[in-house]
Amino acid sequence: MPPALLDPPLSKTSSVSSLISGTISQEPVPENRLFDDLRGLQWRINLGVLPSSSSSTSVDDLRRATANSRRRYASLRGRLLVDPHVPKDESSSPNLVMDNPLSQNPNSTWGRFFHNAELERMVDQDLSRLYPEHGNYFQTKGCQGILRRILLLWCLRHPDCGYRQGMHELLAPLLYVLQVDVERLAEVRKLYEDHFTDRFDGLFCQENDLSYSFDFKKSSDLTDDEIGSHGKGMKIKSLDELDPKIQTIVLLSDAYGVEGELGIVLSEKFIEHDAYCMFEALMNGAHGSVAMADFFSYSPVAGSHTGLPPVIEASAALYHLLSHVDSSLYSHLVDLGVEPQYFALRWLRVLFGREFSLDNLLIVWDEIFLSDNSKMEKHAEDNTDTCFRIFHSSRGAFISAIAVAMLLHIRSSLLATENPTTCLQRLLSFPENTNIKKLIEKAKSLQTLALSTEISSSTPALVEYNNKGKSVITRSVTTIACESGSPKTPKSLLPDNSYWEEKWRVVHSAEELKQDGVEKQVPSQKKRWTEKVKLSLKRTVSEPSSSTIKNGKKESKTSVKRSLLEDLSKELGSEEDIENLGCHETLCQQDNHSLAVEAEQQDDDSDVSNNYGADDRCLSRNTGSEENSFNLASPPNEFKDHENVSQKSSVGSNLSLDVINEISYSSPIDSPLPISDHPENNLSPVAGRNNDSTGNSATLSRNIKLNKFQWLWKFGRNNGELMSEKRGLASEAVKQTNKYNDQSNTASSSTAGDLCSSVNFNGDSADQNVMGTLKNIGQSMLEHIQVIEYAFQQECGQGTSLDNNTSKNVLVGKGQVTAMSALKELRKISNLLSEM
Amino acid sequence: MVLVLALGDLHVPHRAADLPAKFKSMLVPGKIQHIICTGNLCIKEVHDYLKTLCPDLHITRGEYDEETKYPETKTLTIGQFKLGLCRGHQVVPWGDLDSLAMLQRQLDVDILVTGHTHQFTAYKHEGGVVINPGSATGAYSSITYDVNPSFVLMDIDGLRVVVYVYELIDGEVKVDKIDFKKTSSNSSAH
Repeated sequence: MPPALLDPPLSKTSSVSSLISGTISQEPVPENRLFDDLRGLQWRINLGVLPSSSSSTSVDDLRRATANSRRRYASLRGRLLVDPHVPKDESSSPNLVMDNPLSQNPNSTWGRFFHNAELERMVDQDLSRLYPEHGNYFQTKGCQGILRRILLLWCLRHPDCGYRQGMHELLAPLLYVLQVDVERLAEVRKLYEDHFTDRFDGLFCQENDLSYSFDFKKSSDLTDDEIGSHGKGMKIKSLDELDPKIQTIVLLSDAYGVEGELGIVLSEKFIEHDAYCMFEALMNGAHGSVAMADFFSYSPVAGSHTGLPPVIEASAALYHLLSHVDSSLYSHLVDLGVEPQYFALRWLRVLFGREFSLDNLLIVWDEIFLSDNSKMEKHAEDNTDTCFRIFHSSRGAFISAIAVAMLLHIRSSLLATENPTTCLQRLLSFPENTNIKKLIEKAKSLQTLALSTEISSSTPALVEYNNKGKSVITRSVTTIACESGSPKTPKSLLPDNSYWEEKWRVVHSAEELKQDGVEKQVPSQKKRWTEKVKLSLKRTVSEPSSSTIKNGKKESKTSVKRSLLEDLSKELGSEEDIENLGCHETLCQQDNHSLAVEAEQQDDDSDVSNNYGADDRCLSRNTGSEENSFNLASPPNEFKDHENVSQKSSVGSNLSLDVINEISYSSPIDSPLPISDHPENNLSPVAGRNNDSTGNSATLSRNIKLNKFQWLWKFGRNNGELMSEKRGLASEAVKQTNKYNDQSNTASSSTAGDLCSSVNFNGDSADQNVMGTLKNIGQSMLEHIQVIEYAFQQECGQGTSLDNNTSKNVLVGKGQVTAMSALKELRKISNLLSEM
Repeated sequence: MVLVLALGDLHVPHRAADLPAKFKSMLVPGKIQHIICTGNLCIKEVHDYLKTLCPDLHITRGEYDEETKYPETKTLTIGQFKLGLCRGHQVVPWGDLDSLAMLQRQLDVDILVTGHTHQFTAYKHEGGVVINPGSATGAYSSITYDVNPSFVLMDIDGLRVVVYVYELIDGEVKVDKIDFKKTSSNSSAH
């Protein structure tokens, strides 16, 4: 057995016989000992109250640290908690003029007493309302007393901060986990009673042996081994057989170990002491970067560059991170005028204590405390203007990452809000049935981003854009070159937006694939992407045969279609420009939804399609010109496709097809190896030429039908507002079905897949008969309407059965009527179309 | 822990204009839980002022009081102590300990507070305390013109009472303290 297991008897003998020097008891214990079943202990280590369980730490060190911290608290308590009735030295002190109940001197015993009483009243006011749902623990007199004393002491210790509402909610979980630990200990004690009770007896016998052997081996180096061999009695052997975790518990609660009873790491007697130490470490940050106390103060911390109170600064940091992750949500919130501190104040001050149930909160805190709080090396000196203090440590980054993950979690419902009041309502009533694991996972990926964001935050994104986002740029260049015909003005996107989105995904996928090199990642990602394109193309083709030929054929066919649409949209351009303005908002929303869908799915296994979707979207954005605002809104992700089609009617679906085409174009060109490897590579220029040649001829026939399309446009525009609302609901509904029901995910994607094929089929038939296309479009529209209706029903059913947001329900109720009427309209149109 | 303010013989406005400023600055609301006043306030304004210090006000009737509804004697229980309150002019000879002890037995109280003599006195007597807080305004009495303003604050905590005596001598507030412990046998007796 490792020497650490011999440690207990040795340490005991050291205290009992006091013959052995302390060096012996400092045996190393096994590394990476995680007290995962003793959360309180783990937190104490993570918070820096106890030494971290590295190789140099032994049980004894833990015990010593424990005892020291407890002594500190005890002396503090004796000093600060004054009782004027305790006679002690006061009776002798003649200074009654100062020390009397009516004394005006705040430093007098009575003055302090009244000050404390006032604080206590304030604390009590909050404590009496602490966790009413766990009242049988938190509302007990003993617990309240402990909490009150700790808070009082902390406030007295930090008079500059004082008591602020919310501190009690930071403290309560700490006390709770300690209590849980002690209860767990009691359980273990019951199970392994003999190991707890017999220890002293066993030692007693050995003591004689040891002292005897010590007479002549006192200064020998061999004492260690000698005693070890002596100590290897029956008792210890049986202890060795125990589960190591139980062993630790036994060791930690041994009353005869180092520091005696005061050193019992898990002791009910000293819960108060331990809780105070944890609380203090949490509030002061234990020399780290994130100190919760800062969040309660109104004055800026020294060293902050913003000159804002820390909590405001942290809130701003949160938005900063959000703007990188999800600019649309960010801009939505900013547009509404929802300042981050409106909700982040509450989130941060109690570390999300109000947003999660206690059980979930403990899990969240596990992660928060697990991340390192030590200040990280500042990357560069130039990032002075935008650097946020909270990003200086990984813990701070994680806290903000959780906040952002929470925002993303309720993203869709936030985006559906139209005024700041409802938005805040939703922010402040975070859904309780949250998948905490998912949230934390997301937060972890965001954390890495936050840390890297911080590093590069001040440098304009363009530099890194060039460095890492090379693929984006090359892609956009090549695609523009490919599309030669129409003059394309790059859409005025936020340049860092797409970059960060991609970066996020890269990071994400890197995590999943356990790959670290970003450079390596990009090509592989691309490969997957092209594969995916191939795959989707293959799927659209009815009879399977050699993929290359099919691809080529397919491309030539669909490219015709695409060019038709391009021309059409070019002709419609002027009208669209107007429409773009009108649609911009809805598009934004829609885009947001699609993003949300992605984010949702990203947690699932379908990362491949997601990467694909992401790339594709940024591709379509880069290629985007006036007419491509639709492309932007129509990523080929089936899900989004479905959405898109349902709202944009036929044109939308065609454009989504268009997108697919574009991918098939650009993917080979994008790939780092220009020749061979990808068979499509050779085909693409041909396809492009085909495109040009057939496009012209097709426009003629197209023009005939132009009127009808325009009519459709107009219709779409008229319904635009109703539709957009409905769309939001529908997508929400679909998302929810996705969330709650894994089956529905596949179902919807399968329908979407059908849709895709039908659209592609349209593409085939477009050559022969545009009328047929319209008919097909009508059919597909019908399908989509059915999907939406289905989603609606699902939503309604869930709205009542599951505990959804009530506000959401109201919204559904309101929007449903208009949405249903809109659906009827759609049905009419589709009937008309299919009749044609 | 309960703080009880005991005072009396203010004689406002006939013999004194108001409480001394130093006393007034010390007497702030929020600290005192009960006020017992032996009487001779004499006007309602003083009564109202005392009410601002603490709403729980107990007053016995003095011969100069405008308000005639005050009782002659009053008893109240605070913590484990029973307090008796009387103006004191009825007890003759005035300020005599034995006479006061009689009243104490009559009322069956641990602490008897009386006034009228305008002189602070405190006796530990027969397992109880007899206190005269003096005149809070320093008003002259029918016995003497040489009166120092004084009042008493009792800190009652369990079986222990600490009596703080505040006296204004030559413009300075002098504080004295008297400890009194009630024996447990006494408490079990009632």
